[in-house]
Order: sequence, then C-alpha cells, then structure tokens
Amino acid sequence: MNLTHDFSPTPEVDLASGKYVKIWHGPQHPGITGNMSLELTLCGDEIVNCKTHVGYLHRGFEKLMERRTYIQNFPLVCRIAVPEPTFNEYLYSAGIEDLAGIEVPELAKWLRCLNLELMRLGSFLMWLGGASGAFGMSTVYQWTVTHRDYILDLFEEMTGARIYHMYISPGGVRAPLPDGFKDRCLMVMKKVEKLLYEVETTVLNNAVFKKRAIGLGVISSDMVDAYGVTGPNQRAAGYARDTRKDSPYLVYEQLDFDVITATGSDAFDRTIVRYQEMHQCVSLIRQMLDRMPTDGAFHTPTPNVLHWKIPAGETYVKAECTRGEYGYYIETDGSEYVRRVHIRGPSYTHAIAVMEKLVIGANIADVAGLMVSLHTYPPEIER
Amino acid sequence: MKLKDVISPFYVWQRAFEKPYTNTKPIDTRPGADAYRGFHVNDIDKCVGCSSCQTICQNHAIDMVTTDKNSMPGDSGLRPRFDYGRCCWCALCVDICPSGSLHMSNEYAWVSDDPDSFRFTPGVDEKPWYQHEQGYHRDPNYNLLKLERAEMDMLSTEEGLKSFDEVVSGYNHEQAIAEADRCIECNICIATCPAHMDIPDYIKAIREQDLEEGLRILYKTNPFSATCGRICTHRCEDDCTISHLGKPLAIRWLKRYIIDQIPAENFARILQDSCEENGKKVAIVGAGPGGMSAAYYLRKQGYRVSVYEANKRAGGMLRYGVPTYRLPDDQLDKDIDYIISLGVTMHYETKVGIDIEFNTILDNNDAVFLSTGLNVPSNLRITGEEHPRVVSGLQVLFDTASGNNPNVGQKVAVIGGGNVAMDAARVSRRFGADVTVLYRRRLEDMPADPEEIKEATEEHCHFVTQAIPVKIVPADNPNQAIIHWGEAEMVDDGKGGRPRPILQDDKMHTETYDTIISAIGQSGDYSFLSESIRNDLSLKWHKFEVDDRQRTRIGNIFIGGDVANEVADAVSAIADGHNAAIGIHQYISEKV
Amino acid sequence: MIEALKQRLSEHFQLTNLTIKNAGLAFLWVEKHELEMLLRQLRDFEGYTHLSFIIASDHIEKNQFKLTYMLHNYDTKHDLGVHVDISRVNASMHSIHPLWAQAWTYQRELKEMYGIDFPESPRVDEDFCLEGWDDMPPMRRDFDTVKYCEEHFDDRDGRATEENRQTMKVNIYPERGE
Repeated sequence: MNLTHDFSPTPEVDLASGKYVKIWHGPQHPGITGNMSLELTLCGDEIVNCKTHVGYLHRGFEKLMERRTYIQNFPLVCRIAVPEPTFNEYLYSAGIEDLAGIEVPELAKWLRCLNLELMRLGSFLMWLGGASGAFGMSTVYQWTVTHRDYILDLFEEMTGARIYHMYISPGGVRAPLPDGFKDRCLMVMKKVEKLLYEVETTVLNNAVFKKRAIGLGVISSDMVDAYGVTGPNQRAAGYARDTRKDSPYLVYEQLDFDVITATGSDAFDRTIVRYQEMHQCVSLIRQMLDRMPTDGAFHTPTPNVLHWKIPAGETYVKAECTRGEYGYYIETDGSEYVRRVHIRGPSYTHAIAVMEKLVIGANIADVAGLMVSLHTYPPEIER
Repeated sequence: MKLKDVISPFYVWQRAFEKPYTNTKPIDTRPGADAYRGFHVNDIDKCVGCSSCQTICQNHAIDMVTTDKNSMPGDSGLRPRFDYGRCCWCALCVDICPSGSLHMSNEYAWVSDDPDSFRFTPGVDEKPWYQHEQGYHRDPNYNLLKLERAEMDMLSTEEGLKSFDEVVSGYNHEQAIAEADRCIECNICIATCPAHMDIPDYIKAIREQDLEEGLRILYKTNPFSATCGRICTHRCEDDCTISHLGKPLAIRWLKRYIIDQIPAENFARILQDSCEENGKKVAIVGAGPGGMSAAYYLRKQGYRVSVYEANKRAGGMLRYGVPTYRLPDDQLDKDIDYIISLGVTMHYETKVGIDIEFNTILDNNDAVFLSTGLNVPSNLRITGEEHPRVVSGLQVLFDTASGNNPNVGQKVAVIGGGNVAMDAARVSRRFGADVTVLYRRRLEDMPADPEEIKEATEEHCHFVTQAIPVKIVPADNPNQAIIHWGEAEMVDDGKGGRPRPILQDDKMHTETYDTIISAIGQSGDYSFLSESIRNDLSLKWHKFEVDDRQRTRIGNIFIGGDVANEVADAVSAIADGHNAAIGIHQYISEKV
Repeated sequence: MIEALKQRLSEHFQLTNLTIKNAGLAFLWVEKHELEMLLRQLRDFEGYTHLSFIIASDHIEKNQFKLTYMLHNYDTKHDLGVHVDISRVNASMHSIHPLWAQAWTYQRELKEMYGIDFPESPRVDEDFCLEGWDDMPPMRRDFDTVKYCEEHFDDRDGRATEENRQTMKVNIYPERGE
C-alpha cells in the first residue's frame, strides 16, 4: 500500500484573485443522483476544487431506530435507500436474527436472495438510464426505466408494493411467491436481456460515450483501499472482490457466478462492469427460479414482537449491493429498543472523499458523468 | 474510432414507434396486484377494539375512536381510525390484528381536495374499495402472534384417579415465560374479570421476571390468588383477544405461577400491608372468599375485623365444595393464613342466629358484611327422593373435604350438570365408583365449566343427557335405590331462548344405583336474619338486591358473594368482598 | 487465526478485551492512546487495509462514548471492529485522517452528531448534515427527539385517541373496582 497519500481535502483557492468562479452543482440538477450538491471552484471550465455537500436527505434514521421496537424498524429501514430498499430490509433482518439467534428457513433464504437480485437488476437499470442520460442519451433512460417498471411489477406481485417492499422481515419473509410468478419473471428477464443488447449497441458502442467516458475519473489501484472504494468501482480497478463470493450469505454459495473485473478503472470500465453484472443478475435470477424449493416454511416465528427484547450484543452484517459494501452495525443492550444502528453505505466515501479527489482537473461538462459513474446514492451517506 | 461506434447509436430509432408502458389515467386504470398493500378495510363486527394496530404502528397513524359500537366485555367498542397523512402502508397493523378483522384492498388511488378526508375509520366511513376481493391479507403461515399455548404438565387420567392429588402441575419457569410472552397487553380482559384484575400488568411482571411486583399487582384486586390461579372460572380467558385466532392465554395458570414461586413467609415482606388502626369495627358473616376478601381490604384500611364462621375452618365453598385435586388445602391456606395474619379475629364454629344473635353483631359493629353463601341443596322435587341412598352433591363434597368417606358405593348416578355435579361425579370416581351423570338438557347446555366436563369425561364418567328423573323407588337391597327416568325431547320455546326439555312418557328407563347424588342447585339459608331485616333487605329470586358497592337498603349492612350476585363463582365473591370494603369505608367515613 | 493475531498484537498493545462473534467477525478493545498505532499496525502489517466505517455509540449510563473502527482484511475475509471507550465529558479523540481518506468525513460527522472533537482532523468544524443546528448534538442519547419536535413543530388538529382500558371502565364498570 502506498503510505504517502495525502488525504487532506484540496486546499481553498484565492477567490479574490478573479481567476476562479464558484458554482453549485446540485442539489437540483439532472446529473445528480439524488439530492446532494457539489460546490465546485472552476478555473475556466476546469475544476480546481470541490466540496461535497450533503444533508438534503438527512432524516435521522439511525436516531429514529433507537426509539422504535424491533418490528417497528422493519418498515422504516427500506426508506434509507430509495432505489434499493431491499438491501436495508435484508441487512436489518439479518442483523437482528444474528443477535437474537433466529435461524431463517431455507425457502426464505432463496426468496430473500431472489428479491435482492431482482432489486440489483432494477437498481442497475435505473442507473444505466442515469448514466446514459448524463452522457446525453436520454432515450435510453426511457427504455431502462420502463424495464425497471417491469421489475417493479414483479415486486408488486411478490411483496405487495413497488418501491418499499417491506418483504424481508426478521425471521424470514412475509409471503411465499404467488402462483405463476416464475413464468412472469422469466418473461421479464427475456425482455431485460433484449434491452441489454440494445443498450450495448447504442451506449457501449457509441463513439460519443466512448470518447467522453474512457479515461474519465480514473481510480488508481492504490486508491482503492486507501479510499475505501468497494463494489463495481473497485472491481473496475482490477480487484476481484465481491462480498457475495468472499463472505457468502443467503444462497450465493449454491449459485454459479464469477466476479467481474476490468482494468481501466475509468467511467467506461465501470459502466462495462455494471453492464456485465446486469447479465449476471439475469443469470442468477434464472438459476434461483430453477433451483429454489417451491414450498416449505418461509418465516420463523419470533418472540412476541410487541415486547421483543434482544440480549445485549453487537454485530456487523454486510452484503454486496449495486454500489459495493452495504453493512449494518447493530448494537443491542437487552431492552426492547436497539442501542445503536449504523448503516454503512458505499456512497459515503465514493461521493465525498473519492469524488472530491477525482473531480479535480475534470471538465465541468463531465462532472455529471463522473458522478454517475461512481454510482452514488446520497441517502445512504446521510441516513 | 470505429465506424460501427458511430452508426450503432442510431439503433435507438428502432423503438420509436413502440407503445409506452405508462397508462393514461383516468381513461384506463391499472388495478393493484392481488396482494397489493392498498387502502385499509376493517370488518368492524369482527374487530374488538384491542388497539394492537395502534400499538404496533410505527408512524402513530392510528387513533382508537368511539363508534356506534358499545363497549362490552370482550370488545372495547373503539375502532381504529387511520390518518393517511402518516400511514406508510407497511401493513404491520394487518399482520398483528388478533381478531383478523383488518386487511387491505388493492385500491391505491384516492383523490380529494379536502385533506381532512384522508383521516377515516375503515368499516365505518363508507369507501368504494371495501368490496374489492384483492388486496393484502396476512398469509396464514406468517404469524406475529403465538396462537398455541405453552404446554402444561398434568397428571395422566389414570394417575389422577388414584388419589386426590392436584391434577394440574403448574407452569415451570420456561413455560410461564413462553406463555406470558403471548400476551399483547390489549387490556380487554380487565373489564371481563369480575375483580377487574390488572391482568396484563402481572403477566408483564412474569415476563420481566419480577414476581414480587407480580404479587403486589395480584393483591391489589385479589387476595385469593393461589385459589383463583387454580379454580377460577377464568372468564377473562373466554374474552382474551388471542382467542379469536388461537388459544386464549392461560391467564389463570400464569397467576398461579406467580403465587407458586413465592413462599408464604415472604408475603408480608413483599406486600408491606400496614394496618394502621382506625378504631372502627366491622363484622363479617361467612369466611368464604367473599368474606375473607372483604376482611383483607378492610383490615388494610385499619378496621378491626371479626369474622363469624359456622364451620371449623375458613374458606367456605372453596374448602368444603372444591375437591383437593383441583384446589389443595395448603394452597387455600396460603391465601387465608396471610389474610388472618394481618390481625383478623376469627370466630369458628359460630353459627350466627344460634350461637350469637345477628342483632348483637349489628349493634356491636359499625358495619356488617354478609357473605354466607348458598349451602342448602335444592330438592329434586320427585317422589321418593327422601330415600337414604339419595344424597346431595354438597354433602358428598363436604364429607370428603372433612376427611370422611361419603361411602357412595360401586354404582353412582349424579343428577345435574353444574360444577357441583361434576365435582361430585369425579370425587365418586376417586372412591372407585362407576359414575353416570344424568342431565336433563344437552351437553352444550351444561352450566359446568367446559374443562370440568372434559376432565370428567376423560375420567370415564358416563354422561347421559336429555334424561329427566321421574321417581325414585326403594330397591330390594336396602343399600340401593332405583331411579326411573325418561328421555327428553328438546323443544324450541318459541321465544328464541334455549330449548326446553320435554319428557317423553314412552321412553322410560329404570336403573339401580348404590347412591343417587342430586346436584341440581342450591340456595341460601337466611333464617338467622329477623323477619323485619329480611323484609327491609329485599330478596329477589332468593338473592339480595345490592348496588355496585354491595350496599343494601339498610345503611350498615353490606351483602356479597353467591347470595347477592348472579354468577355465583369464587372470583365474583372476591370482587364483592373488595367492593364491599370500599363501600363500607365510604359509609363509615361519611358517617363520622 | 484471530487468536494468533491477538497474540501478535498483545506484544505491542494493551488489548483490554476481545470477543469473537463468528468466523468472519471479531471485536477488540484498546486504550485510547494506542488506537492510532494499532490501526497502523493492522493496516500495514496484518492486512486490514479496508476501513468500513467509524462510528460512536453513546453509553450515557457509563458516561462514555464507545468508538468503533470497523476494518476488513480482504485476504482472510475477516472483519475486525476496534473499540475505544472515551469519556463523554469534553469528548475528544485523535484523528486518524492520515490513515484513510474517508476518515475525516466520519470524524466530521462524529463531531456534529455526538460532539466528539478530533482536533487535527481537516474541516472537522464544518456542517455535515445539519446546517444551522444550534441544539445538543442530536445523536447523543439525552437528546430527546420527541421533545424537540413538540417544541418546534405543531401537530395537525383533529387527532384524538382513546385508551381502551379507561373507556371500558367508564362504559362497563364505572362503580366497581378501585
């Protein structure tokens, strides 16, 4: 590891000199993923300084959770990351189960895993649209969001809601799969696969996109650990690290997949990695629909949730979300309330430390593209 | 740069003429999925207003409001009102609903320019989506409530029949915690309990393993907890909210668990009942549950309490009517001895009206509480019932409790369907007799506790229902009697009440028995009261008329227990005693 | 594996406690002044190159904050949480911003949410999420969110609820019981 990194934020420049102009990129900006803003200092159209500002989405979840019973937190956590609520549901439940010593039935593991992979695909589709949009191809955005809607239709059937599924609850899941779900899901997978090839044609083989994305925002290999980079951002830099493989959870051990990597570590390679991971999602979903048990228990009864006390303890559970390491640190103190919950989202470092570093020297027009290529969700920074 | 990269983006035109996936509301609508979590639906006839939905709601979106439903035992009359400004449609309320009344429709669109309209009471305010078939219903295999009881260890039927040992073993620690965990603290049971005990509170004390606090909670409303923990009619369990979908909580056994864990010698330290003398005197006639309960609460207020009891020991029907396999003597003594230890003066074997005049007692005390109980067995009112082999159920139980063998013989008939009949039958079984129970109506009409009927059946008591005794004649053997009984036909009374049994003359049976036990009811003996007092007290259907604090028309006389209340069970007598103590305290305080 | 690690670390550091949660997760406690050196050791020589997060939890009953530095070793796939207990009074901690790039953001957040100072940490006094906040650091356990809301916001009119215990007493047995 390179021990000579200087991690200090970039120094302030002398605004009075007249050479610089300061602009706000966000919190309302089509190129911003969610509500956050970059305070950019420009010299010409080149960025010399950047500060990430968050707080527009701060809802104090971690504090709220300390005031709610264990079951009451279950419908709350999904709101932490809007495009990917399921990871919160899963990790919260997994953490609680770990601390309370609850074993989840086999079917529930498969259903959870299916839910997570569908969510990953849906989230990637939305991201793919955003990435295309940020590089000027809004048409593709319409396609991908439509296809995400097909997935939301599946969620609606499976969980009873489109966005905030509230499906994975401590102990298992809330309901088995509805009749005929497998066929409908496979049909959607077919549609998505077709779309992916179209996206490959129109975006990944697009001269403009290549021109702009290749070489943009390179995360050097020694930055990865020093900046805590995880997920596709890390894999695009050549690291074959994936929580699903390294510390397998749910049923990933029983599924066939490889960790996808690239070497360029720029906006283009990150897109490629994610693009391939979407194909991987489709494959994983098909494998699961094929292999999962069709009946059996899907929920282990918990103690009475109205006065459920969990012995004092602490745990850290994590999963590979679309952006990287998503984790829940949960500390209990024996009461009916959780003592401390911390939600570790990969965007915390991607959107602040990494972004502030990568954006220096970039062109103002590429900021949106760079940001999208890091795939950041502000709500998981602020929680 | 490859030429392909320049050309391929034009591929986007391929989808230019595709139909969009969005739909054009209101021209076409898209219904929610089958299990969509849409707007709430509540079957208000099924709902019991337990507030569990309100308790679990993490958004405070639910208020419990008064509707045109009346409060009654088992139903608070309140119904949930949803504030859709706060609701997040998580459906925890549906998942927890113990009556199964609440679910969600798949409707998700509701447009209104009045923000207050989004606050509504499902089932009460008319909404179009109540008819929707689809929507979120809790999956039957997903349950937040525990519907099954914790297992209770019991003697096997064969073991039980061998002796008068207690049949129910009582919960151990794990069983009690598991059972206490099922409680949802809805408070519905409190209204049903005649003594209005703080049931959810003492169950919570068990959960939190603070049994001393549990004991204090019990004694706030019931000084006979060891007794009630065993033989209470537990009407609270009939109205337990969990019983709508599962087995009700074993409230009675949880109460017993608290008492069983605390040795009698610790009661004084835990309860800290100080009895600061106030110089006033109250007399109590009858040392049954009603009288002793009144004695406890009066003594706590500082009254000098004298109790007059005809029998050798205190307890009344609990001692002389309830067999020891249901209520062992030492457990009854645990309750009674603590009350007496507070300084209650007991006059045993003192029959009021014979050993001491009632007026003397009345004159020497500031107030009197009468709780003499029903101890005169009712007659069968058929010819031949004066036969020596016809005995009353009460007599059999009294003899057994006093340590005398009632000598029922080998073949016994019990006439009646109440608890006394069941007890007499089961006692006779324990003395080795074959027992036949003759009851004039159907099994479901029996006034006895279903548990008692079940256990009597298990102990091989033979039930003959719709059997009306007609006459009893002497048998050849002077130690036997012959009963003539006829089959009855159940006839609708035409008024919607329970059907009446009508004797069918052509279906008569005769059978010879060693003993015929009559247990068809009992009444009170009020001969110790003078004519004028009896008239002033106003008797109605052989029971005294009293108000909620057991007051009578004579200011210093209070009456409670079986001679005053309709249900005539132990816990009602205990409640009467408690209320009489409050009434007496009010009366004496106001008089001064 | 973790036992061997403990052995090696114990040669240089006063480890006050170690709990092994499962094969992939353990927590250890270290004294405040040894933290930075320990983290360096773990990062440079033990393979714990990845910092997942830094958080505090408020142990108000012990008058302490418990800081947690969650590290990950990509080779052994092991998570290691390093705990440091610091006093709640004038809470302050050494900055580890020279070790990981994201550390100063976490430290800025801890300053804002718990009032724990990291004197050398860059931009530590800048607002993170709470612009213009003038109350107690809100993640402290003695900050009462409900009270704050009651003081600063109004409820909408028209909400009223009844308690069924009381309702049933009034309607069914007003004159019975206590």
